[in-house]
Amino acid sequence: MSTAGIVSPFSLLDGAIALASLLATLWVGLRVKRYIGTIEDYLVASRGMGLYVGAASLLSTEVGIITYMYQAQFGFVAGFSAFVVGLITLAVCLLVGRTGFVITRLREMQILTVPEYFERRYSRGVRVLAGVLMAVGGSLNLGIFPIIEARFLAIVTGIPSQYLGWTMAALLLVALAYTALGGMVSLIVTNYVQYVFLAAGTVIVTLVCLRQTGWSGMVRAVEGHMGGHGFNPVEDLGVGFIVWQVLLWIALMTVWQSVAMRTFSTKDAAVGKRMFTLTGFLFLGRALIPMVWGIAALAFFWGRAAPLAAPTGATPAAQIEQLDARLNETFRRDLDAGRLDRALPQVDLLERLAREEKPRTPEAARFEDAARDRRGEIGLLAMPWMLAAILPTGLLGLVVAGMLAASISTYAGYFLGWSSIIAQDIVAPLLRRDLSGQGRLLLTRVTVVALTVFIMIWSLVYHLPGPAYFYLQVTANLFMAPTLIAVVGGLYWRRASATGAALSFVLGAATSLAYLVPQLKVDVASAGNLSWALAVAGFVIGSLLVPRAGNGAHAGAGSEEARA
Amino acid sequence: MSWALVWLIAFVVAFSSFVLISLAIAVRGVAEIRELFAALEEERRRKPF
Repeated sequence: MSTAGIVSPFSLLDGAIALASLLATLWVGLRVKRYIGTIEDYLVASRGMGLYVGAASLLSTEVGIITYMYQAQFGFVAGFSAFVVGLITLAVCLLVGRTGFVITRLREMQILTVPEYFERRYSRGVRVLAGVLMAVGGSLNLGIFPIIEARFLAIVTGIPSQYLGWTMAALLLVALAYTALGGMVSLIVTNYVQYVFLAAGTVIVTLVCLRQTGWSGMVRAVEGHMGGHGFNPVEDLGVGFIVWQVLLWIALMTVWQSVAMRTFSTKDAAVGKRMFTLTGFLFLGRALIPMVWGIAALAFFWGRAAPLAAPTGATPAAQIEQLDARLNETFRRDLDAGRLDRALPQVDLLERLAREEKPRTPEAARFEDAARDRRGEIGLLAMPWMLAAILPTGLLGLVVAGMLAASISTYAGYFLGWSSIIAQDIVAPLLRRDLSGQGRLLLTRVTVVALTVFIMIWSLVYHLPGPAYFYLQVTANLFMAPTLIAVVGGLYWRRASATGAALSFVLGAATSLAYLVPQLKVDVASAGNLSWALAVAGFVIGSLLVPRAGNGAHAGAGSEEARA
Repeated sequence: MSWALVWLIAFVVAFSSFVLISLAIAVRGVAEIRELFAALEEERRRKPF
């Protein structure tokens, strides 16, 4: 069995390519500051965004190193079944693009943030409540990006761990500099440049993966590891997970702030609809391409592994304990040195033995869970370790440049998205006095800086409790279900009231939080679906019990407070 | 049709459309950015900050 670790061939040339791409982005981003005069320029680029740069901006914002990592992890642990999420994304984008569901009405209202709609339709209280949940959920969601991405960069570039914190801080500061100064105009222009790097890196990695393992090698690896589960999403992931993903993606494509800001920035509603149709296919690639990298990593490390001798314990239970003890000793070191070809077979064997032993010895379930968690950890790092092993110097620099571009564009987009909500929908309404346009602009810039500081601190102190994909989805789900329900209800149901909207936010958020309390043992799909069910129930019951003030009003008209 | 074939087709569609749309963005994006700058410049002339 191979026991040699992997050492990245990242060289000075690679470093120079990556640095040049960063400097080019920063230079472009800072140059457009002169176009920013009003809050509308700053948040929605005076609504002048065209179709192609809109698609580039949308994808650059929603693709970071973390996206590639968790999608690759998903492919690694679920095989081809994971692809169903990409198909759902495509279907949702096409639905939104063809029908203009929600986005057309919001775009025509000329709002700057989603919670702004809640004040127009319901009340200022609902706006602030939604803003708080979005700010908390969005910031926590963004807060783990640097933690995960630092691991990718450490593996692929070989940067010593003592410099990682500084590297991530530098990346965040680059994003902060041009976002704080140039707002959405900077984002649109830098997103275009970043998209070119990102797309080039994505294509390079995909071709290298296909050359390394071949499609048939990936199919064999999934068959060997997962059998039919690796191909059939209903068997593997379950109907509940699929339903939740459909709902979540409808929400993400319509009311997720960084996506909605792109809708609000388009020239008109028609361009917005076409942007979603075009982006649907890019989002399909956003899911499937890195998932294939994850499956290629599975095939790559499985192909390098030598057969593992079974432990020598007298009973299966003793063998399981022996194997678990061996893994406790070596797993972390193997993971950190890229010896996944040694860790993976041991984890596989432990999981198989524990599964077989579970009917006779219930305690074996604990070992099965532990093996599954370890498989998840391997899945997260397998793709970067594979890239470090197979990419030659020069190409590695281009790929890192693409990944950094993806990452910084996401930071920048999310900084602007969440800080606009904190400034426009929490701080400004609570000040209880009208701010001038310049005042709002300054407030948003200050919030961008404050959010960046928070993200830096959070990424240093927080330790991820489980798979990144689930953490990200749960923090997003904290507000996604009630936001979409309150927007759709507000737009299409006359009786929708502020009480219903508020109840929907409280119940939807509480259910999502249940996933983060381990004692409740709520799995991620159940928490997600329950969040949707209770958010709908709260919205309907609240609206029927406490109807809105006035009658015959229509979406987009004055708020309930204004009517009262 | 087997699942393996479905996923192969899905991947071919995903990768080829990613490449084609990316090329379209790279080519058409420059003109759109120029248009955006012109519009912002025009607005700045009309309404000086």
